Amino acid sequence: MADLDDKKPRDMRMKEKINQKLIETGEKERLKELLRTQLIECGWRDELKVHAKEIVKERGIENVTVDNLIAEVTPKARASVPDAVKKDLLQRIRTFLSQQPGL
Amino acid sequence: MNLDGCAHLRSFKTRKGTEPFRIVHSYFIIAASQEARKRKANSCYCHMCKQHRPRLHACLHCVFFGCHGARHIHEHARVKQHNLAVDLSYGAVMCFSCGDYVYDRELETIARDQRRKAAKNGQVKELCCPWDPTSAEIELLQRNPKRRKITESSTIGLRGLINLGNTCFMNCIVQALTHTPLLRDYFLADRHNCQMEDNANMCLVCELSRLFQEFYSGVRVPHIPFRLLHLVWTHARHLAGYEQQDAHEFFIAALDVIHRHCKGQNSESETNPHHCNCIIDQIFTGGLQSDVTCQHCRCVSTTIDPFWDISLDLGSDDARNNNNDTVNRGTSSGKLNGCDNHPESTTLTDCLKRFTRAEHLGSSAKIKCNACQINRESTKQLTMKKLPLVACFHLKRFEHSTRYHKKISTYVSFPQYLDMTSFMSSRRNDNGYINGTIAEINSDNNRYALFAVVNHLGTIESGHYTCYIRQHKDQWFKCDDALISKATLQQVLDSEGYLLFYHKQFLEYE
Repeated sequence: MADLDDKKPRDMRMKEKINQKLIETGEKERLKELLRTQLIECGWRDELKVHAKEIVKERGIENVTVDNLIAEVTPKARASVPDAVKKDLLQRIRTFLSQQPGL
Repeated sequence: MNLDGCAHLRSFKTRKGTEPFRIVHSYFIIAASQEARKRKANSCYCHMCKQHRPRLHACLHCVFFGCHGARHIHEHARVKQHNLAVDLSYGAVMCFSCGDYVYDRELETIARDQRRKAAKNGQVKELCCPWDPTSAEIELLQRNPKRRKITESSTIGLRGLINLGNTCFMNCIVQALTHTPLLRDYFLADRHNCQMEDNANMCLVCELSRLFQEFYSGVRVPHIPFRLLHLVWTHARHLAGYEQQDAHEFFIAALDVIHRHCKGQNSESETNPHHCNCIIDQIFTGGLQSDVTCQHCRCVSTTIDPFWDISLDLGSDDARNNNNDTVNRGTSSGKLNGCDNHPESTTLTDCLKRFTRAEHLGSSAKIKCNACQINRESTKQLTMKKLPLVACFHLKRFEHSTRYHKKISTYVSFPQYLDMTSFMSSRRNDNGYINGTIAEINSDNNRYALFAVVNHLGTIESGHYTCYIRQHKDQWFKCDDALISKATLQQVLDSEGYLLFYHKQFLEYE
């Protein structure tokens, strides 16, 4: 693995390290849960659910797969996440990282 | 979609059972223990591109992780003819022969049970899942077809309270409590589990729970709170009898009894065993920071104390008596003389500024400095370390001194919305630069909205309490014992407030 690691660009290794830290500490799950709550609260989830239901209704349940659905709703889903939610998550990740020794 | 999976999954289950799913789900999705998380962090990468990528899937047939994005899991499935894989974020099973995720009742149950077990041990959070009514619940709903819909004009939640003999001090607090949004949510969601099982009719929290039911039942005739009064008399003896009582004293006594009766119910939090987690402390408790600065070495000693309310002096015209001896802000002992000079009007913000400004403790009240090791003159400053979800401001209108007792009728203007940022410890701390910037970013988080005002009419010897409460976000009502009448926001803001109740507009996530 050492050889392989050396060949990867620096920021990619950093990204992996951060990801590992987030998983190891359980912070990733906590943040995911938080994000889930925030997205429910701001109505994002309901809005997307309606959108997904419309697609399913239009095509018929037999002709839609989860992957189709993901591909179709992702652009809208990404674009409609409120800035405040993104900002909050970023701030929380920053705070978490600043508390981690050796990063 | 159904919960019977697909032919491929069924055939897989007959050959290998549910064990492969069970293992993958327990080790790599729940990963409840520290070691499991470590393992997950180190081994969950795509075996083809060697990267930690989103939507990683684990093959159910062999030990293989592949990412979905670069279609490495698809490739594995095709080459090895391993058609089933588990999504490692959510635990859904992908069948590559069907080309979609499939749902199997048995596997879903395993996943749910594992999560529940881990949640019970406090290792992971239980996922919020939609309400799935049981057959008993469905039957109940069918037997009671009447649904109540709250509209702008509905009066549900408004109910007068009969005065049982100078009990307006209690009635006004009950009105304020029943219109505290978070408390209402707690009780209407039936969250209280009585801790006094053998003596449940003595539990004040149960009584409050019943009171909420009464208030939100839609009944319009006034409620007679005799059971509540009896419980208050039993549990707070100093309030027993038909004399006039102080509403503020009742409020604090009521919180204290409720808090004690909640004890035992999730009273210990993970981080601090001394920290109470009862609904009263969750809603009403804030942290007051007291910084004592030695005037000699500038060394600061800090203590943080919990509080349920903030008692505010209304200030006096004579620009603070010369001897600066108002050490004990908790009592009004500091101002025995010259009390006739109360200003005609002041503002809540001014009162708070006075409350949080640095104060010279004077030469007669030297405090031992930890650094100097001798008694030194010092200054003391109170600031808000932690804001409560509901802030109760008590305006000290009743003045008790050795010479006389009197009521101060100074007009105190208070806003509909209050920003507490400038009274926070993080703001006032000279050396807390980092805290300062964080407070800056989250200053929206310190905004409060008014939802109840308790007023006292009359003199200190005899008077009457009434209360304004907010309903439906912006409608105001005046509660005068059994009488409820509509009020305007202006009337509320113009009133001579005694207790002001504000709730936070933005709630932090725990």
